[in-house]
Amino acid sequence: MAKLSPPGDTDDSTAALVIEFRNVGKTYRSLLGNSVKAVEEFSLVVAEGEILGIAGPNGAGKTTLIAMMLGYLRPTTGTVEINRVSARHYVERHGIGYLSELIAINPKWRAETALVRFATLAGIAQSEIPRRVGYVVDLLGLAEHRDKKVKALSKGNLQRLGLAQALLRDEQILVLDEPTHGLDPVWTQHFRDIVGELRRPDRTILIASHNLDELQRLADRVAIIDRGRLQRVVSTTYENTGDGSTTQPVATRFRITLASGHELIRAVFPQAEDAGRGEYDVTVHSLPELNAALADLIGKGALVASVIPERSVLEQQFREAVGESQ
Amino acid sequence: MSRASSLARYSFWQLRDFAIERGVAILIIGFLWGYALIEPIRRAVGTSLPGTASPLWLVAMQISSAIVSLSVLIALNGIVSADRKAGYYRFLFSKPVNPVLFYAQLFFVYMVGVLAAMLVLSSLLHRILPAFSIPHFLLYTALVYIAMGGIGFFLSVATRYDWLTLAAVWLGARVLRGIYGPGNDWRSKLVQLLPPVHRLDDVANSLIGTGSAHMADVMWLLGYGALFFALGLAALRWGSLAD
Repeated sequence: MAKLSPPGDTDDSTAALVIEFRNVGKTYRSLLGNSVKAVEEFSLVVAEGEILGIAGPNGAGKTTLIAMMLGYLRPTTGTVEINRVSARHYVERHGIGYLSELIAINPKWRAETALVRFATLAGIAQSEIPRRVGYVVDLLGLAEHRDKKVKALSKGNLQRLGLAQALLRDEQILVLDEPTHGLDPVWTQHFRDIVGELRRPDRTILIASHNLDELQRLADRVAIIDRGRLQRVVSTTYENTGDGSTTQPVATRFRITLASGHELIRAVFPQAEDAGRGEYDVTVHSLPELNAALADLIGKGALVASVIPERSVLEQQFREAVGESQ
Repeated sequence: MSRASSLARYSFWQLRDFAIERGVAILIIGFLWGYALIEPIRRAVGTSLPGTASPLWLVAMQISSAIVSLSVLIALNGIVSADRKAGYYRFLFSKPVNPVLFYAQLFFVYMVGVLAAMLVLSSLLHRILPAFSIPHFLLYTALVYIAMGGIGFFLSVATRYDWLTLAAVWLGARVLRGIYGPGNDWRSKLVQLLPPVHRLDDVANSLIGTGSAHMADVMWLLGYGALFFALGLAALRWGSLAD
């Protein structure tokens, strides 16, 4: 896989790049006067260098939120600012690497031509365009498809073309809406590697996805929204921020697999449920409690093969948040 | 690389799109329409009567002005709304591009395209009707493009069904003016606010024929189109790109 460090064209700005949603609301009104609130009182600050996940069920308002962040939609209430200027103003001045959920590229264009067009609009120097286009084509494995018309591309290849156009420039902000939609497992893993390499202290990445496992792996925090409202922001790391703004993840149900010492499990976890084949389901209330119990179990002579949360911490938080709102 | 220069470089792609998606259609329709109506008359009467006295002249005037209107309609159809309907705006305007400048440039690039297509068609017509002035015809084309195109541009920003609404506005204005015409009642005064399409016939005859026209008519047409073009740009600036 090609290295993810295209030379040149970096933004000179040294100011910390902050994206701020302040009391943002969006109401769609029909000609007949019916109205639908897509987003309500959404406030969130995304820091420079952060990878923020946005999770929510269908129709939660994720795409509307992103459209407002790119300035495609005007909020009905509140403001969206990037570096203290309106989002649209920022995008027009600096550009944003954006992969939309719906990959809409003129089907008559050829894949490589589409990238050349986008590179031209992105302000890449004429002499640089072939190199930049070649770079993203190699990165996303599009070499054999570069002469195909967009309409001839498979869903996965179209998704990769969409991602390629988002990575043409060395953007400070990347917004990826359902980025692995349509990708096969191999390219899903490639995508995760790419995002991992894109992480940089001066780059902010937003990823909206239904795939909680993906967000758990990639994001630093995940904003869970439902019915247009921010339900909670969950940290995907176990580091305590201490500021109280972020919910710390605590899984409560774990499946423990023992290689030996099965008779010891109930001495440590009296309520353990036997799931068969040396696996036991246990309930704890905190990570220190789990760690202490495991230390006790190992100290008594048991050999622990694996400890797996029954649900990922994010999934658990998601279920609670969405369940609570309903 | 400045944003203005990258947008200017993109005009090459815009012109290319026009040529492939609209220019060829305009040329084919214009040629077939003109050939089908003008050639039989030319065969029948020949070019024995010189210049504007030829029966061919009247037919050529009518056809050429109609082709201009149709070409502008084809050119402006979906100029903004197509990108919104198909969602193309998402990738285009995540780049450092001002949508107002992008579509203003597109409007004028398409104008160049329409003028180029009319140059080809009028050159063909000039061969069989030497009195037909190519520069006068192109002047008329530019006037109609601004007058009709300005309204079309606004409608393309304001609605998804711009082709239909432009045709309705154009036809509706003619019909309503025909019904209520000049008068002192409120309806007559109200129809004065409609697009001044009725002035096009006089302007077409005089501008294509002699290269001159009543300045008041020209200013009305230009002013009306320019006003709506500006309104379209303002709607792009202050409205939402997404539906």
